[in-house]
Amino acid sequence: MGITLQKSERWGSARLGQAVALLRNNPSIVLIYGIIIVICVVAAIFNEDFRTASNVANILRQSIVIGLIAIGQSMVVLTGGADMSVAMVARTVGLVVATIFLAANSSNGLIVPLVILGAGIGIVLGCFNGLLVTQTHANPFIITFGVANILRGVNLAISSTPIRGVPDAYLSIYDAKIGLVPVNVIVMALVWLGAWIFTTRVLAGRALFAVGGSERVARLTALRVNWTLLSAFVISATFAALAGLFLLSRTGVGDPNAADGMDFQSIVAVALGGISLYGGKGSLLGTLGGVLLLVILSNVFNALQVDIYYQQLLLGLVVLIAVAAYKSPRTA
Amino acid sequence: MGTEPSSSPQTLLSLKHISKTFGGIHALADVSFDLRPSEVHALVGENGAGKSTLIKIITGAYTADRGTITLSGVEYDRLSPELARRLGIGAVYQEFNLLPELSVAENIYLKSPPIGRLGLIDARARAQNVLRLLERLGAQTHIAPDQPVKYLTVGEQQIVEITKALATNAHILILDEPSAVLPSRDLDRLFNVIRALRAEGHGIIYISHRLNEIFELADRVTVLKDGQTITTKAVAETNNAELVRLMVGRSLTDLYPPKDNQPGQVLLDVSGLCVEGNVFDIGFQVREGEVVGMAGLGGSGRTTVCRSLVGLGKIQSGQITYRGRPAPGNPASAARAGLVLIPEDRKAFGLILNQSMRFNLTLPNLLQFQQTGWLRPGLEQQAVDRAIADNQIRPSDPELGTENLSGGNQQKVVVGKWLLSGPKLVVFDEPTRGIDVGAKAEIYARIRDLTLRGVGVIMASSELPELLGMCDRMLVFHEGRLTGELARPDFSEEAIMRLATGTEPAPAP
Repeated sequence: MGITLQKSERWGSARLGQAVALLRNNPSIVLIYGIIIVICVVAAIFNEDFRTASNVANILRQSIVIGLIAIGQSMVVLTGGADMSVAMVARTVGLVVATIFLAANSSNGLIVPLVILGAGIGIVLGCFNGLLVTQTHANPFIITFGVANILRGVNLAISSTPIRGVPDAYLSIYDAKIGLVPVNVIVMALVWLGAWIFTTRVLAGRALFAVGGSERVARLTALRVNWTLLSAFVISATFAALAGLFLLSRTGVGDPNAADGMDFQSIVAVALGGISLYGGKGSLLGTLGGVLLLVILSNVFNALQVDIYYQQLLLGLVVLIAVAAYKSPRTA
Repeated sequence: MGTEPSSSPQTLLSLKHISKTFGGIHALADVSFDLRPSEVHALVGENGAGKSTLIKIITGAYTADRGTITLSGVEYDRLSPELARRLGIGAVYQEFNLLPELSVAENIYLKSPPIGRLGLIDARARAQNVLRLLERLGAQTHIAPDQPVKYLTVGEQQIVEITKALATNAHILILDEPSAVLPSRDLDRLFNVIRALRAEGHGIIYISHRLNEIFELADRVTVLKDGQTITTKAVAETNNAELVRLMVGRSLTDLYPPKDNQPGQVLLDVSGLCVEGNVFDIGFQVREGEVVGMAGLGGSGRTTVCRSLVGLGKIQSGQITYRGRPAPGNPASAARAGLVLIPEDRKAFGLILNQSMRFNLTLPNLLQFQQTGWLRPGLEQQAVDRAIADNQIRPSDPELGTENLSGGNQQKVVVGKWLLSGPKLVVFDEPTRGIDVGAKAEIYARIRDLTLRGVGVIMASSELPELLGMCDRMLVFHEGRLTGELARPDFSEEAIMRLATGTEPAPAP
């Protein structure tokens, strides 16, 4: 008994130690949640609407699309790359699914198969990205940018006007609530938890950090580098596809402008959260903070009725400040 | 003169009572050091003894918490990198700061090239200046000012770095382990350059782990240990054994563990191995519990053979049989079969530098910590604790980033991560390059542990003493071919060097 007790105590302290180490090695996490708390406190004091339950629910729900995309983006950025095709993947999935709904007279029976199809499109496009990156060894940024442009063309060919015909039942993905809490927010919380566990407690997740830290060392350390890179791009595109499916339930139409700017925004969220854009370092906990910060800022700007153009400007400033604050100390 | 009580006119640079702490840990505690004109002053000490910190204080990269720096009679409590440069301090590190595409002259005058009448760079004057500088060093015969740096050897690039420091009128030159990156044939050239500088009146601070260089080159030597100056002595008044004792508090005879291993069954059988480019017709065996050495000059093919054993490099012909089967085709399957390579350049091939010790130690062993698909932090923690204790890694905090460790401890992490995987045959390529005596002794002890447990070891090294001290048999390479295999009774530095240089044995008298 004594021995087992000691053991479990040790395990407990190991976890506590790791938690402390996580914060010590990623000071940006403390910083970003600090900023979020300050903004929230200030906004809650000065703006009655901000602290209402419906606004909080709203913020959380608005964080889902960018959150899904940023989770996938985090995986790619951890390997030292960037996925510039995520917005176009989301848009393509939305347009394809909406087109089929329209052709099939908004049949409710198609909802499940089409969600599976949408996710499947994500997986296929992710494989495409991943294979291109691992086989050509070209810069992932450029490759996924090229893929994004191909998809942009495909999307314009599908439709340049909004596609109606999404069945009402599909919209409940966005609307369903338990009491005041949207169901999708609960599901999203579980998705974040799952993604975080993947990066910390699963071999394939650990491999992302190793490949991003040094591909050469990872290869010599008996890791399957190409598989790891491929998996990162597949996860990224699949989460982008899920974001596209979710967006469809929010707007109710296949939107040829859907997810505009999400590629850039997701990288901003990842970078704000402190994941090194050189790869190999950071935590999904930071990405969550980055996502929340972006959504809360936009919520506060809207409450203050800041013009959308100035919002863009302020967002750009936030990015520049963050990049300056996180700049690598090893530049000498 | 007599107006500067703080430093004698015989002193170029004088540090007094320098202290520096990082997060409560003393990196330097009350260190004093001085440098005279026309002197090569060696700085020795184990990794983590504080040499790098001291150098960074002299070059202005760090500011001392306490203490003063006196340069040409003026006392400073802090220097900036810019100020240090202006005061004539130049440093050459192991990693060079050269732009490979630019010419020698462009690199040397990157910052402040001579300017001609129209405000343009005067390329001719620049080339002439560089030629003059190279002549002072006696290096004009093999380095031309207009050569792109990328075509120079490592040794020549080092001389360009030294020239670069001279071009800014440095009269205090710091050389941080200059010999660690050099093939041995370039060493003489470097020494001649250093002697030329000394003759001109420059002061040189020379850092090296190789004590015999210090006896060949230096005038005085300062020993640092645990952030303190242990002593400063004239080189003529000390010897190898004393320096080692001062550095580590251990004498040389303890360096190699006793040889009580028993070779067993054949683990690895290589025959007729040819690897693309530079290795031809190699054949040898390795047994359980045996240390097989690989000696040879740089470029003799040792590293190529080591890499080919774990499936790296293009094997053109020949057979590698490991435990009765054809050898694994890539590092991953080799590691699963218990055959691991601990590569020569720990920073490039061994460690993920921006990650913690824990991350690096567990990386090749993650399958061990996996239960029903999940990594178990408890199991991981136990393994990390064991690796840190077994390999005596210091500091022992597993969350510390490996980039912050000293070279010796970095090497222990690389060794530790592979030994955790429970290997059956370990290939060490230059296991002790650039690490201090204490860390060396610990790595030798680990190698001996392995052989006592029946693990086979291949040890490729350019340091003959460690091969002589550790190996049961020795393979000697010369220009990609195996020129000899020596059993322990036949070991001698002379015999190995003869085989390694391809010299015919002298006829028996």
